[in-house]
Amino acid sequence: MPPLIEFDHVTYRHPGSEHSSPPALNDISVKIHQGEWVAIVGANGSGKTTFARHCNALLLPSHGQVLIAGQNTALKSNLPKIRAGVGMVFQNPEDQIVATLIEEDTAFGPENLGVLPAEIRARVDAALETVKMSGHKEQLPHLLSAGQKQRVALAGVLAMQPECVIFDESTAMLDPRGRLDVLAEMQSLHNRGITVLFITHFMEEAARAERVLALNAGNLVFDGAPQDLFADLKLLTACGLEQPSTVMLLREIRQLNAQLNHLPVDFEQALAQIPPYRGSHQLLSERLSPMTGEILIDVENLSHTYLPDTPLSHQSLFDVTLQVHSGAAHGFCGATGSGKSTLLQHLNGLYRPQSGKLRIGPYDFRDPRLDIKAVRRFAGLVFQNPEIYFFEQYVGDEIAYGPKNLYGKENLAKRVREAMQLVGLDFDKFKDRLTYTLSGGEKRKVALAATMALQPRLLILDEPTAGLDPASRRNLHGILKDYQESGVELVLSSHSMGDITELTENLTILSKGKALRTGNTADLFNDARLIDEASLGQPSIVKLAGALREKGWPIPQRVVRAEQLFQALRAVNTGGPHE
Amino acid sequence: MSEFDFLSRIPLGQYIPTNSIIHRLDPRAKIIIFGVLLIAITFTPSQLGLSIGIAALLLALLLSKVPIGFALKGLLVPLPFLLIIAIIQVFFYSSALDPNILIKLGKLNITSGGLLAGVMLLIRFAGLILCLSLVSFVTSTSELLHGLTKILSPLNRVGIQTMDFVMIVQVTLRFLPFLAQSAERIAKAQASRGSDWGQKRKGLFNRIRQVIPMIIPLFITSLRRSENLALAMDARAYGVLKYRSSMTELHFSFRDGLAVLISVVVSLAVFFA
Repeated sequence: MPPLIEFDHVTYRHPGSEHSSPPALNDISVKIHQGEWVAIVGANGSGKTTFARHCNALLLPSHGQVLIAGQNTALKSNLPKIRAGVGMVFQNPEDQIVATLIEEDTAFGPENLGVLPAEIRARVDAALETVKMSGHKEQLPHLLSAGQKQRVALAGVLAMQPECVIFDESTAMLDPRGRLDVLAEMQSLHNRGITVLFITHFMEEAARAERVLALNAGNLVFDGAPQDLFADLKLLTACGLEQPSTVMLLREIRQLNAQLNHLPVDFEQALAQIPPYRGSHQLLSERLSPMTGEILIDVENLSHTYLPDTPLSHQSLFDVTLQVHSGAAHGFCGATGSGKSTLLQHLNGLYRPQSGKLRIGPYDFRDPRLDIKAVRRFAGLVFQNPEIYFFEQYVGDEIAYGPKNLYGKENLAKRVREAMQLVGLDFDKFKDRLTYTLSGGEKRKVALAATMALQPRLLILDEPTAGLDPASRRNLHGILKDYQESGVELVLSSHSMGDITELTENLTILSKGKALRTGNTADLFNDARLIDEASLGQPSIVKLAGALREKGWPIPQRVVRAEQLFQALRAVNTGGPHE
Repeated sequence: MSEFDFLSRIPLGQYIPTNSIIHRLDPRAKIIIFGVLLIAITFTPSQLGLSIGIAALLLALLLSKVPIGFALKGLLVPLPFLLIIAIIQVFFYSSALDPNILIKLGKLNITSGGLLAGVMLLIRFAGLILCLSLVSFVTSTSELLHGLTKILSPLNRVGIQTMDFVMIVQVTLRFLPFLAQSAERIAKAQASRGSDWGQKRKGLFNRIRQVIPMIIPLFITSLRRSENLALAMDARAYGVLKYRSSMTELHFSFRDGLAVLISVVVSLAVFFA
């Protein structure tokens, strides 16, 4: 039997690209057999997506050939078989739903293949059952959560009864729970003998696969087991990749303490095998810093219903009560649909309280003479994926839009220059650049500067690092920390527990429109039950610290960042007491 | 209601699944029923006929179990335009033959005939809008598409490709709520940066200037999205075979026939009454 997917010296150049420039795929030969579970990793622009699109004839090689179960993708007569045999789930859950009803969408593929009605019905029911969306059959797609849309997209692929499913960064836009759901679906496909290929930026996810292909600038530079890839630090760095944080954590703590250096590579096993602490060093009683300081934002019994008094009305906030103190960055986390964005938009005056109280700094929304523009000057808001909605051609104009509206033309250039300085963009170099020619990280910086140019007292960020690669993410953390130190208050929401632990001191956990708890970030993350109730995942660092603490290791409660854990372990070695 | 809830402002084009007796009709029947009613209401010369038509629509609305207030809200948006047209009609109704002058305003006369014509026009348009929104309330897009496919299928035999046409309609309808959502987000992003969104400016020029920053990102996001959608459709084997099959099999039952018959009778009454 021929391999399911066979690349035979495949080279691909984008149409119109010059012959001197390096090809998007360069002489790739690889075989993938039925039933394998393969992760594809590589930095942005390394050719991962191009590779995947060759697997179901969305792209055809410039040189060489791709054979799917022995059939050449270049022959048009093979298309029905290839498209049915290799299904694809894309990154953006919104863009792949064709029909206006869920079950109709699932039927789209089989309909294209000319399957008979009764058979389609059976396949659609089975596929929706598999992804646990049977209850939503007749719902409208644009009202589903991102994770649900992604499961619908998978159902649409499964209804074609493929031998192989390719996930092209399908978890990138999902919250932690949605991400786990998609990974669980991959696992179950794999268990049923379906070949699974997936592209990911998250090394933790790649670690689950049996085999990893690493691409770098169009070249296949690694083909083997994930453990072997992650052991090769030099190769990882060269490809712009990083070790999974669990691997990195374990490697560090093995070196830090002799008692820990026998821990296995697997994170879950390592947690279970942590030895009891046998040292003299004790932890002095510690107190988590209680929330202090003047109350910056006061929310009391805030509720919000979208489209009230229509058949489509939908309540997104229920009696939310919380306080944000000044001087401490405040985070919001919760699964998709928990009401984070709605709440943040209230803080910017985009929504007025339908019921309940809201005060932001000096502005009380019960005041009938409230100046809404003053609120927006005070509390600047950066939306999720803000760069999608750029409307000026030039970077300088985009950033100047806000201050021009709020402060007029006076000192405009100075305000823009200062804002660009804050995010590390050179004014003279960037002000006349076209916005669409910027890289993803640069675009995010422009969007950030566009709000910073309003000189807000409080900066509100909705998912500030979504869609950024690890390097841009770290860079952004630095910018925000500096900005906070300059005296601006910070409020942010994020799916990334890394953002929350890096940047915030206090945290509110939201779930299904209710504020579950507000408190110290470390404190809340240590409460496994709370985190689970909110459908979030405990960061691996918190898990590890918790497991150590359980065995008597003197690890303070407030440890939520890697360097804090290492510091605590170093203190164990030196024997000196700390805090 | 928030100034940004664009979605709520377009009840036209929203399916409301109440599973009423009208919802359960065969889509072909629905298309025919509302089609003939629409034509009759548009072209009827008689006042009595128009009243019958409106009455029939209201009855259908009642039977469809769609909240009446919500359905009538769709009339509010175009109402100012309709009023203007109606008023023009009142003044410029060719009144030469009509001796019943009610008010004289210089050269313009308001005659009872003119007034009647204005009111008729207003009601006629209201009826049309109601009829169209009713179709969208009781017919899901997919039903509409299946109905269209079946009704148009004889054209395939003479060599006209109807599959692509229906697909274009489908994708357009699928995109509408997305456009509304995008517009909402863009407006919000700009308002949060101090634009006067929601505060109406004076003068046509200023109004246009206000809309431009909205149109550009809307255009760009739509283009990118359609590109992605095309790719996703390709990946799911769209167009690899000449003809698609369909999950839904339509059954034109006795009930559907009866409903069509009633609608035809009503339409004839509307037209000839």
